[in-house]
Amino acid sequence: MFERALKGLRQQLGTQMMSVATVALALFCMAAALLVLENAGAMVRRWGAPVKVTVFLAEGASLEQVDSLRRALAGLPEVEEARYVSAAEARLSLSAGGDQAVANAPVELFPATIELRLVPSAVSAARVASVALRVRRIPMVSEVETYRGFTERLRSLLAGGRAAAGVIALGVLLCVFAVVSNTVRMSLAARLREIEVLRLVGATRSYIRGPFLIEGAMLGGVGALVAVLLLGVVYLTVRGQFEVSLGTLLGLHPVFLPWSVVASLVMGGCILGALGSAAALRRGLHS
Amino acid sequence: MRCRGESMGRSRVSNTFRPHFRPEGHFDRTAAHKPILVLEKVMKVFRADAPVLRGVDLTIERGEFVFVTGPSGAGKSTLLKLIYKAETVDEGRILFCGRDIARLTEDSIPHLRRNIGVVFQDFRLVPYWTVFENVAVALQVMGLSPRVIRSRVALALERVGLDGRGEEKVAVLSGGEQQRVTIARAIVPEPAVVLADEPTGNLDPVLALDILGLFEEINEGGTTVLFATHDRTLLEVSPRRLVVIDDGRCIEARAGLVGLGGVLDHGISIN
Ligand SMILES: Nc1ncnc2c1ncn2[C@@H]1O[C@H](COP(=O)(O)OP(=O)(O)OP(=O)(O)O)[C@@H](O)[C@H]1O
Ligand SMILES: [Mg+2]
Repeated sequence: MFERALKGLRQQLGTQMMSVATVALALFCMAAALLVLENAGAMVRRWGAPVKVTVFLAEGASLEQVDSLRRALAGLPEVEEARYVSAAEARLSLSAGGDQAVANAPVELFPATIELRLVPSAVSAARVASVALRVRRIPMVSEVETYRGFTERLRSLLAGGRAAAGVIALGVLLCVFAVVSNTVRMSLAARLREIEVLRLVGATRSYIRGPFLIEGAMLGGVGALVAVLLLGVVYLTVRGQFEVSLGTLLGLHPVFLPWSVVASLVMGGCILGALGSAAALRRGLHS
Repeated sequence: MRCRGESMGRSRVSNTFRPHFRPEGHFDRTAAHKPILVLEKVMKVFRADAPVLRGVDLTIERGEFVFVTGPSGAGKSTLLKLIYKAETVDEGRILFCGRDIARLTEDSIPHLRRNIGVVFQDFRLVPYWTVFENVAVALQVMGLSPRVIRSRVALALERVGLDGRGEEKVAVLSGGEQQRVTIARAIVPEPAVVLADEPTGNLDPVLALDILGLFEEINEGGTTVLFATHDRTLLEVSPRRLVVIDDGRCIEARAGLVGLGGVLDHGISIN
């Protein structure tokens, strides 16, 4: 059966190659979208978790008060480290880029803060919010920044990306189905005489349909494989050029699609191809 | 499912035939004593105003050679199609070895066809296949081993006078040679019946006689042959049972052409 499928594939090699290329291109788009999502997801995990809280202090708080507050904050289970940053230090760090205007500005313009570093991944956004609310009530605290806005923007961006990828995926799946189905229809048409003869000499339904189903599955599967390989090459090229700058900028190492995703892409290609072929057979074999 | 020919030489065809077209695998022991084909009041209507067959009654015994003739459009091809179930009867019954083929399930039709070899006027070969492939396909669908297929195809090609021509592409063969390939394909599974629908229609008279001779040889091996033809010459040279289809019915004309009178004179073109 497999041999007969291969024989059929060889017979219309040009058409089959074209359709593999089309399938590969479509699946490449989908895999690329998945890859971007995968990396964006990793980034959101890295940056989206609440890791840092800045407590702005009201003017005129005494050093002892500040220090006892700092120790109290450091004692919270969510907090890994609490560091006092005085107004002068803040000015110094902000003018570190060599900005003379900042360096010469009066020190009162820079608020003193306590920077909290949170235990990574042990803290939910809700708990951070409730801690921030309590800290906010302490009289010497003027403001608490949890950087939630940034986190949320990242998350909504990711959700948008997921929705877009879903739409792309749907389009791509339909396209693959249609391409395989049409290709199998063409090879059916080219082999009508063969099918007629098979029926005449008593071939069973599955004997006749089998090779076409295999053909469809192979078109889908090989297309998916080519798409993944292509994406791998593109990924390696891009990573080779941007790794240093991207890595330092985002504090993140790019990742390729996990093996499970690659495997399900190829499997999905096979199944979709077989389905497309079955659709073509249903239409084409009823004479 | 096992095929008949697997375990059997062609010389024993006639007395050990067992219909194997039931997927369940059990067969009717009495089948060997029944006529191979019985048509009872067979009706076939494509257009309501002009039924093609209007109650055909016909019994064909095992090992018979029967000519089927009649005017063009009388329904000769239709009759053969009904037998190998390319068409279904509208009324009446067709019994193959005592079994009503109308009641075969979709899955058993292939098994019926493995017991019936069919030869057409227009050959119906796959042009881009070799002679061997075109013949072997009839055994491949039964799942026989390549070794068995090779030897049986070689035997069949020898019987039709094409030994050693297996590797040639069918498209380059002459009409007569192509018809021999289809005959080899029809007989290679050692079917109980061979149906021939104007197998000589595309061939010149001398070749036509050759092909007829081939079918007679096949018949001598024990295979039942139904031979539909227009060709009066063939009917004249071969004193076989003759069935004429006219006006939707079957007329026996056992004594060759004698007594056929008008039917042949108006209806049948002489090639
Ligand atoms: N599938 C079909 N649909 C409609 N009409 C059909 C069909 N098959 C056959 N017919 C009609 O049935 C009639 C008998 O056709 P058939 O082919 O059996 O004749 P025939 O005796 O074989 O003729 P010929 O000697 O010319 O081959 C014709 O009038 C034909 O038009
Ligand atoms: Mg005809």
